[in-house]
Amino acid sequence: MLVSLKEISKYVDISSLSAEEIAQRLTFSGIEVEEIKHLSTATGLVIGEVLSCVAHPDSDHLHCCKVNVGEEILDIVCGAPNCREGLKVIVARAGAKLPGGEIKRGSIRGQESNGMLCALNELGVDPKYLKEEQIKGIEELPIDAEVGNTNVLEYLGLDDTILDLNLLANRSDCYSLYNVAKEIGALFNRKVSIPKENELGTFEGKFKVGSLTVKCKQFSGKVIKGIKIKDSPKYLKEVLRSQGIRSIDNIVDIGNYAMLLTGQPIHMYDYDKLMKNELIVKDDYEGEVVALDDKTYAIQKGDLVITSDSKVVSIAGIMGLENVEIDESTKNIVVEVANFDHASIRRTSSRLGLVSDSSQRFVKGINPNQYNDVLNLVARLCVELADAKEISKNINYDEGTHEPKVIHSSYAYINKRLGTEFSKKVIKSTLESLHFAFKDLNDDEFEVIVPDYRIDIEGQADLSEEVVRYNGFNNVISSLPNMETTVGGLKDEERKERAIEDYLLEQGFDETLSYTLINKKDNELFNYINIEEGYVVFNPLTEDRKYVRKNILTSLLRCAQYNLNRKNEDFKIFEISRVQTTKSYDQHLAFAFVGKKYESSKLNAKEYNFFDAKGVFETILKMFNIQESRIKYFRIDSGNEFHPGRSAKVTLDGKLLAVFGELHPSIKKEFSLTKNDVLICFEMNLSLLFKTRTAQNKFSDISKFPSVSRDYAFIIDEKVSYQDIKHEIKKASGLIKEINIFDIYKGEHIEKGHLSMAINVILESLDHTLKDEEINVVDKKIRDIITMKFRGEMRQ
Amino acid sequence: MENYSPIFKDLEEKIVSLILEAKTLEDLTEIKNKYLSKKGEFSQLMNKIREASDKKAFGEAFNNSRKVIEDNYNVKFTKLNEDKINEKLKEEEIDITLPGNNYHRGAENPFYKVKKEIEDIFVSMGYTVETGPEVDLDKYVFELLNIPKDHPARDMQDTLYIDNNSLLRSHTSSIQAHVMEKANGKPIKIICPGKTYRRDDDDMTHSHQFAQVEGLVIDKNINLGNLKGTLELFAKKMFSKDAKVRFRSSYFPFTEPSVEVDVSCFACHGKGCPTCKGTGWIEILGAGMVHPNVLKMSGYDPAIYSGFAFGVGIERVAMLRYGIDDIRRFYQSDIRFIEEFNKKVED
Repeated sequence: MLVSLKEISKYVDISSLSAEEIAQRLTFSGIEVEEIKHLSTATGLVIGEVLSCVAHPDSDHLHCCKVNVGEEILDIVCGAPNCREGLKVIVARAGAKLPGGEIKRGSIRGQESNGMLCALNELGVDPKYLKEEQIKGIEELPIDAEVGNTNVLEYLGLDDTILDLNLLANRSDCYSLYNVAKEIGALFNRKVSIPKENELGTFEGKFKVGSLTVKCKQFSGKVIKGIKIKDSPKYLKEVLRSQGIRSIDNIVDIGNYAMLLTGQPIHMYDYDKLMKNELIVKDDYEGEVVALDDKTYAIQKGDLVITSDSKVVSIAGIMGLENVEIDESTKNIVVEVANFDHASIRRTSSRLGLVSDSSQRFVKGINPNQYNDVLNLVARLCVELADAKEISKNINYDEGTHEPKVIHSSYAYINKRLGTEFSKKVIKSTLESLHFAFKDLNDDEFEVIVPDYRIDIEGQADLSEEVVRYNGFNNVISSLPNMETTVGGLKDEERKERAIEDYLLEQGFDETLSYTLINKKDNELFNYINIEEGYVVFNPLTEDRKYVRKNILTSLLRCAQYNLNRKNEDFKIFEISRVQTTKSYDQHLAFAFVGKKYESSKLNAKEYNFFDAKGVFETILKMFNIQESRIKYFRIDSGNEFHPGRSAKVTLDGKLLAVFGELHPSIKKEFSLTKNDVLICFEMNLSLLFKTRTAQNKFSDISKFPSVSRDYAFIIDEKVSYQDIKHEIKKASGLIKEINIFDIYKGEHIEKGHLSMAINVILESLDHTLKDEEINVVDKKIRDIITMKFRGEMRQ
Repeated sequence: MENYSPIFKDLEEKIVSLILEAKTLEDLTEIKNKYLSKKGEFSQLMNKIREASDKKAFGEAFNNSRKVIEDNYNVKFTKLNEDKINEKLKEEEIDITLPGNNYHRGAENPFYKVKKEIEDIFVSMGYTVETGPEVDLDKYVFELLNIPKDHPARDMQDTLYIDNNSLLRSHTSSIQAHVMEKANGKPIKIICPGKTYRRDDDDMTHSHQFAQVEGLVIDKNINLGNLKGTLELFAKKMFSKDAKVRFRSSYFPFTEPSVEVDVSCFACHGKGCPTCKGTGWIEILGAGMVHPNVLKMSGYDPAIYSGFAFGVGIERVAMLRYGIDDIRRFYQSDIRFIEEFNKKVED
């Protein structure tokens, strides 16, 4: 909302207040002034008259002029096509400062030039308010303009300062200059004078208005006859320009001006084009209509429309239709002042993609009690500016409630809510300044009647805000909540997440962050842990941000790709994030090894492999005391994101916990990774790990008796997994404390399809030294398992 | 008493001079074998004791002589042994300017540093941390927060919808709605960190995804001064010891009064600088007293209970704190960017 200080000064005394002062005070009391704009900052201007204008001898478009500026006659070279003898013009003398730069004395193609004849846009006026000929040529001043007048900006109405208000949804009342004036008056304790309008009705018309829907409870009309369409007077054009509105003609301008002053959207119809002497609001129309912007809109049931003889004449509160449009030949008009349900206007406006000054005001809500004043204001302006001859009385349909809003509160409540010590006098005078009618009920309690334009005020909490925003928040006394002492803390899941995060950081992983929303192609990759349906954004801004990801791995790989493209090589990254699908909302961890690992600097490079990921994973399991027996490794038998022979999916108690491994060559291609960009990547469902039962740390006795160590080397089918061998041997005896693999070999001297494995088994008892016989029994069992169960062949 | 010393003297002197001349431990061993072992030349002299009249004196003379030899031997042995160790150590010398072995610690995206820091500050003040779903129901993101369907405030945040009823939360205030619903009218003191989403084009200062930490305190007798005091404490811990906060009137549908909160500029301490665009203040968060309608909808009697709420943007704080110029950097996760923040212990 733009506010012209020149215009607002008609309604509130702002003498001796600077624009900055007003802006500061408004901003701190909830009406943010985003910008203070000066319409023009041009200096060194004077009104002149072109005494003579002849063609420049060396140019086909320049003119050499003699211009009378009162005290002297200047030679000025001018290129404007409309420059001619007798014209009253704006002259920027040498030394004048215009937005485009300083005007200098000089010679143009050999002819002396002591200034410039100006167009309005050269003084800083936005071209959008100007007609084409005003931009192409110099400004043509009225013939009565006073030569030698140096108060040119004042003469042009450009000596104005504009406040650009960024209004929040609660202060829609300030879309009215009258209400802004009241606000400024209250904040600075200045006199406010809003003109009183009297009803100018001269005849009782046959015109009818009404509404067939509860979404419009008030609808008023006024028939105004014998108007003359013409240009608006200079002052109105200037006000509108300052307020950011282009002048069209007197009738359109009257509607816009009345809306600016009161905040009430106004619509006008050509009386003679209406089908019937009526305007009826309906919400059951279906069909297409052509609006004033020449576009066709499909109206649905539920949309509010104004009809005459059941024909639509306006999309209520949003835009009129062209069939009843006012044009140059219009003689008689009907003025509409109504109040439409904000939700309905909002729905229709956003569905049609049609937003107007009017719809914006209705969407935010308008003062329901001022329609007669608005109609009277419009009527007065029509008489003053459009020579209106006959004016009907106000024709009102009003089923709305106009009970004044009364709020009950107390001084104690206000101070208690705010943590302030405002005196009763301050609270009372504040609310009165803001136009609340105040009544003390007893020593503490009071009642106020809310001014009708403050539709945002609902209860006593709002009153507390009025008091504090008016008097300043520096009155709020800082203190800490007086509550029962509580023990703060992270959520269990977050505590665990931080432990994993710390571990990975210590291991040299960098922690990355990525977007939740991804594109279709990426959304189809790496969906192992979450195979259920994901969410899709219904109104995405771009196709790239349409799908709610079901895993983090894909994003992590994109991050790796981003870094590799920037020549960042050899790194480890991880991310822990929530992953939400239609079925689950789990925390996931993904990490990736990229490039090579080094002993130090770039010394002794080694390639990462499957077991790097597995090692990190195993440590995390240990951190949570997960027993090995609950964990099972399987090959990944579907999808082609992972190398089929060098990847695994892992279950915890039979539930899928993690997938990891080397990337499949086809995926590397997809992510434009080269052969050398080794990538081992991993993703796990942390929530599953966090939720599972785990054993607490507990002391268990350490044996006082010596342990016995036995090595077994054997040749075995390479398809037999170590996991199975270990599992079987462990079952052989309670004396087995530990099993460790210490050698594995495949190749020369070993039959194809076989490998040589060596394991170490440690036996131990807590209560005695193991006897040879005991050891031999276990030893035999182990050998039997290797040779009989797994068909292995012992080596010597 | 007879003097037997001369019997040993010659050999003693010969052996000692050999010991002194010895260059290596091997030379010494050779001397030991040749002269001092059981069958060695010097040991053999002891056999002459049979011929001696004064056997005691003979023994003493032998021992004296042997001691001289052994002392010399030991001194030389120690010396040569040391030489050998020193030589070996010299050979083992390394270039101490080569880089250390790789025990590289990773770095966090500064996003996480700030998120944790905010959490830790409030946890230390007795707050518990709560989370909630990112795809949430309209009820929690809007309706329970006093933003009914078709409320104009919905235009304040352009929302990404999944369908008519569910959407990607546009603020973390939705978590407060969940917590209040479950709290059964009991006091609440929580912070709720989380990702949020809006239908915004990404540029230097806007992102369709960003994160907030929401704070909520509900009890009897909570007032706006409590909010100010709490945020002052937060600002002092987060930004600088002398940080001040100021409130500007604002509007959020779920708070009344609503305020924008500015913190005195920590770069210039309020004098005015580029960080604060010359104003001495930096806008840091939005806050207010919980709207009575919000309390009512979640089963709190606004005549008895009151509360305050605030919401601070994690990226915004991180950008201010570290002078980061572009919000997209957090989400690009360039390793070079992340590694700039490897200082683990902040001052």
